[in-house]
Amino acid sequence: MPIDKIFKDDASEEKGERARMASFVGAMAISDLVKSTLGPKGMDKILQSTGRGHAVTVTNDGATILKSLHIDNPAAKVLVDISKVQDDEVGDGTTSVVVLAGELLREAEKLVASKIHPMTIIAGYRMASECARNALLKRVIDNKENAEKFRSDLLKIAMTTLCSKILSQDKEHFAEMAVDAVFRLKGSTNLEAIQIIKKPGGSLKDSFLDEGFILDKKIGIGQPKRIENAKILVANTAMDTDKVKIYGARVRVDSMTKVAEIEGAEKEKMKDKVKKIIAHGINCFVNRQLIYNFPEELFADAGILAIEHADFEGIESLGLVTGGEIASTFDNPESVKLGHCKLIEEIMIGEDKLIHFSGCEMGQACSIVLRGASHHVLDEAERSLHDALCVLSQTVNDTRVLLGGGWPEMVMAKEVDELARKTAGKKSHAIEAFSRALVAIPTTIADNAGLDSAELVAQLRAEHHNDGCNAGIDVISGSVGDMEERGIYEAFKVKQAVLLSATEASEMILRVDEIITCAPRRREDRM
Amino acid sequence: MAAVAAPMASKPRGSKAESFVDNKRREDIRFANINSARAVSDAVRTSLGPKGMDKMISTANGEVIITNDGATILNKMEVLQPAAKMLVELSKSQDSAAGDGTTTVVVIAGALLKECQSLLTNGIHPTVISDSLHKACGKAIDILTAMAVPVELTDRDSLVKSASTSLNSKVVSQYSTLLAPLAVDAVLSVIDPEKPEIVDLRDIKIVKKLGGTVDDTHTVKGLVFDKKVSRAAGGPTRVENAKIAVIQFQISPPKTDIEQSIVVSDYTQMDRILKEERNYILGMIKKIKATGCNVLLIQKSILRDAVTDLSLHYLAKAKIMVIKDVERDEIEFITKTLNCLPIANIEHFRAEKLGHADLVEEASLGDGKILKITGIKDMGRTTSVLVRGSNQLVLDEAERSLHDALCVVRCLVSKRFLIAGGGAPEIELSRQLGAWAKVLHGMEGYCVKSFAEALEVIPYTLAENAGLNPIAIVTELRNKHAQGEINAGINVRKGQITNILEENVVQPLLVSTSAITLATECVRMIMKIDDIVTVR
Repeated sequence: MPIDKIFKDDASEEKGERARMASFVGAMAISDLVKSTLGPKGMDKILQSTGRGHAVTVTNDGATILKSLHIDNPAAKVLVDISKVQDDEVGDGTTSVVVLAGELLREAEKLVASKIHPMTIIAGYRMASECARNALLKRVIDNKENAEKFRSDLLKIAMTTLCSKILSQDKEHFAEMAVDAVFRLKGSTNLEAIQIIKKPGGSLKDSFLDEGFILDKKIGIGQPKRIENAKILVANTAMDTDKVKIYGARVRVDSMTKVAEIEGAEKEKMKDKVKKIIAHGINCFVNRQLIYNFPEELFADAGILAIEHADFEGIESLGLVTGGEIASTFDNPESVKLGHCKLIEEIMIGEDKLIHFSGCEMGQACSIVLRGASHHVLDEAERSLHDALCVLSQTVNDTRVLLGGGWPEMVMAKEVDELARKTAGKKSHAIEAFSRALVAIPTTIADNAGLDSAELVAQLRAEHHNDGCNAGIDVISGSVGDMEERGIYEAFKVKQAVLLSATEASEMILRVDEIITCAPRRREDRM
Repeated sequence: MAAVAAPMASKPRGSKAESFVDNKRREDIRFANINSARAVSDAVRTSLGPKGMDKMISTANGEVIITNDGATILNKMEVLQPAAKMLVELSKSQDSAAGDGTTTVVVIAGALLKECQSLLTNGIHPTVISDSLHKACGKAIDILTAMAVPVELTDRDSLVKSASTSLNSKVVSQYSTLLAPLAVDAVLSVIDPEKPEIVDLRDIKIVKKLGGTVDDTHTVKGLVFDKKVSRAAGGPTRVENAKIAVIQFQISPPKTDIEQSIVVSDYTQMDRILKEERNYILGMIKKIKATGCNVLLIQKSILRDAVTDLSLHYLAKAKIMVIKDVERDEIEFITKTLNCLPIANIEHFRAEKLGHADLVEEASLGDGKILKITGIKDMGRTTSVLVRGSNQLVLDEAERSLHDALCVVRCLVSKRFLIAGGGAPEIELSRQLGAWAKVLHGMEGYCVKSFAEALEVIPYTLAENAGLNPIAIVTELRNKHAQGEINAGINVRKGQITNILEENVVQPLLVSTSAITLATECVRMIMKIDDIVTVR
């Protein structure tokens, strides 16, 4: 009898055909799930949390949907991962990458069924993806030299990204806003300097870009509400009492007056601390922790604006934009770097009072205030705007752009098809399959818009037979149109990342011929 | 996971056939969403309008609420279906945006969804419907704005009229003649001349006190607390020419942050300690007395007692009135009203930080007592309203209704236009949009027509709730509007169609516009959803 047990109990093993089948099916299910969100007329999904409160999220963002799924299938997890990486790297195209990988696997499944070895398929896919990338490179538009034209490119990219999102109705407004914000960054991709504040009420059109920094906090009672030429000390220190941090420290006294003295001493200590802080020559003090009534009053007496309980992110970005450093000791006023700004004032947005810092040291900083009907709308708007900002900041560095609306896919498919014809051997089947997978993206876009995809894609393919054609699917009018005229642009970097990571992911899944599920780790029985 | 598994199993090869299977399922989800959202809207439909009915809600913890306020009803309903939840959210947003019309917005959304359902069955793509709704909504806002009548803040009559329209549909409608002017005066009194566009309703404090009837509700020029004077030791309960201090420290034996204990080794020391405690407190009270202060408002402290029996005794001797346990978040409102500064330490107790008032007195009302501070010198822009009611349910509902009325006035302050009520704007919108739909091409025209029809739900429901024949009323209304009487509306009291502007049934433009925009936005969101995914 052969060895019957290699694995532990509960561990399972799936081999060959079955393993491959499992990973294909898993990956395709994931890609079908997000498929309908693709394109300007893609649909949204409700994410219903099973956790406490059954929170509801409505979203169109592929990465957000995939991130929150329960997934047990290893191949599906690979797809979720590539979507996440795409989100981190370029911010947009998170749905496209999953759909493309899903289509590649669907084609691969057919090839495997017709007895082509997975390694041959992989080799074909590699050649095809290289060829597709070169095809794109040939057709990129680069307006780096011409600042004005570049700006309009960026605007168009932002609009293309936003038009598939909730912001589509006000896309011009938001595109302007996003481009302005990204230009302020001056080439850095540090999106932290762009602060997004969400305030319910009003409509999306009321959202605006504000230079400077907005802190969602209140000014202490009895303190000045407006300061010009502010010197800001950003601190993270306890403004209640400096507790003695020795466990069980205890004072024994023999009379009530001594207790009063200790209390007095504690107050005195706090007073000293406040004095030291005031000695920095500041007129605004922002603390991450609470400021108790007593020091608050002291600050008010000294005419200093004190803001308590600013959250950690608020403190960090405030330090960043005003050029100050976060201090926690106050003995050496010389070594502490203070932040500066021209004006601090209280402003009202909707019903809430916020503190506005303008004329900050770091000119890059700006805040985008989003207004909208409900939290669902605001959250989704933030996600969409974040996508747009990511893409724009990447495009500022890599200025190459492409046309959108399924144009890049058709260009690639055409080149790949030609390659397939030239290639001898079984690989050519794989290359052909790759081209079919590429065409699936415009097909999906058309399908989602409720258009006749078969007809449109056939038209598109015919148009692309001519060299230098700019045809793509115009979803709004439901026909094939010139993408350059319609102003539908996409960033080269996004498309490249979609192509490469989708190919890589499908390659990885194709290589699998065995799935071993490990036995779950047992909890020690403590009952 | 089941959601993902289902389409997987039944999936044939080939992209054509597959998309068909998927579509089937997605259609189902969309219909399920629409149906549950409509169920929510039907639940509140009967409470619309002046003759709308109230709902009794019994919450999980046995509390009973009787209300007519859509937002409150939906809030307590605890729905689980995500699309139904969105309708609840919708009502909440209307509450925060306009404060009134929380039922209207849900009813409109329900009617729109019903129309969308038939559009979907006709095979129109959801995104097309969504886009057309957006267009129709924009047009509707234009029409409403054209219908609106500008109003000045000095025109108190119009303000009162619109506040009473809002109050007329509430439980407390018989008191609308009292509450409406009250709400108007309260809002007008807190407007800051420097920022005339913005009203912060937090500057209006509503104090509820059981007893009496709603008739006894009144504004207090000054400050009202639902707090008792601490007079365990027989301190004063009425002080004229009061000098008021808001303190954030405690008049009790010292307590340090570091752990301490007093060691007593023999009984003579005990005497000494007691004496010291007395002296310590006496010292504090002397300092307070020295500034001339005779009323103390003490902030609540969780760390130690605000006052002890001993300190109360001394304070009573010094003829100082004490009110303890003032919440920390009320401090700002109080200091603003009294025009004083909070004092956090006995060392900073100075005369210039005190507030001045002619009279501070404890008044007994019903079974409880309240504290009134009147005749405040240099009073800040705040107002207090004392709401009375014969039972807790009426009291709560009165507060909610008053809040709605305040919001209505606030809407008028920020957007100074009035519009007719009684279903007149909706029927006019329906008529004009219907005409506009005929000019449009293709699917769009069809969708806009449905939008126009959906808006008729408001006059229809108004008539229905008032026990009139809805079909007869709506057709007559349509007829009147077609003849150019754009202000013809349903007069629920007389049960006929009249010029509603003359009947003084008016509401702020903002309430109508925000109801239509928010309802459309919500419906569009529901239309765009094609799947519900269960996640972590």
